[in-house]
Amino acid sequence: MHIYAFGSICRGDIDADSDVDLLAIVDEQNPRLSPDVFSIYSYRRIKELWDEGNPFAWHLSRESRMVFAANEHDYIRSLGNPSRYRNCVRDCEKFRTLFRQAQQALATVEANSVFELSIAFLSIRNIATCFSLGIGVKPSFSRRAAFDLGERNAPIPEELYNVLHRSRALSTRGHGMPPRKVEIDFAVRGLPVIENWMSGLVEIAQQHERVHQSN
Amino acid sequence: MNEFINRIDAQRRILQLVNGFKWESEELFGLSAKAIDRWVAVNRIAEPRLVDLVSQAAAKLFFLANKSQEQVSPEYRATAQEVASMANAIEAEVKRLREDAAVNVA
Repeated sequence: MHIYAFGSICRGDIDADSDVDLLAIVDEQNPRLSPDVFSIYSYRRIKELWDEGNPFAWHLSRESRMVFAANEHDYIRSLGNPSRYRNCVRDCEKFRTLFRQAQQALATVEANSVFELSIAFLSIRNIATCFSLGIGVKPSFSRRAAFDLGERNAPIPEELYNVLHRSRALSTRGHGMPPRKVEIDFAVRGLPVIENWMSGLVEIAQQHERVHQSN
Repeated sequence: MNEFINRIDAQRRILQLVNGFKWESEELFGLSAKAIDRWVAVNRIAEPRLVDLVSQAAAKLFFLANKSQEQVSPEYRATAQEVASMANAIEAEVKRLREDAAVNVA
């Protein structure tokens, strides 16, 4: 078994809302490992992620530190760099779809607003990470990846981003103050501009892929 | 559709079912164990069957999240089917709670 810390604690950008992301890599299911504490992956699955150049593999390769190994062998470092990331367009489209579904749910169902805003946050963060990795700007795995894209930064006001981030913390860690109705309405009104930004990223990713394929 | 999107959609369906009931303080914000613990605590929920069903469905969805997306195995399909069955059971539990609440008001 190997245990790694990854994410914000390895980047050093921790704040009061940060938790410690832990990865356990195992041969078989281990009842001592709680999925509430660890992201649990098999060695086989980690190798698959490396071979497909999955963004999570790139994240681990760039921002993880070994905490425990039964034999001192650093498994992740031994894998070297993941394969080239090839699914930027597909993944950016996937996160735009996810965002649109959350947007649609917010427009049609009164319940679940916090969950849907947390999905919006997840989509924004992940599309930015995939875009940064696929287009060859500096890859960003930060929760603020949408603001690490230079001239392609997300046009999201800080107050709106805070509502989305708080919703994510509530949905995943059950932590924080639920947004008030007025904050939810404010966030929902801001979503179309974000969707437009996402479509811009998808378009650039498609152009990039076309150029790459023709070379 | 993409498996990742399907899993989020399954979470959405379960949350919509649970939050179809008007809880005392807060709705259920997510299917993480900590979000479920918060929901149970703040609403002082004493419905062990419903909490158990929601927790089990959540555990199965997280199990699916760590499975290979390329190899959608019979085990994967069976677990996805179990989640769908649990959603039906959750729907029935919430319906019962609504009916109980209506009787209490009357």
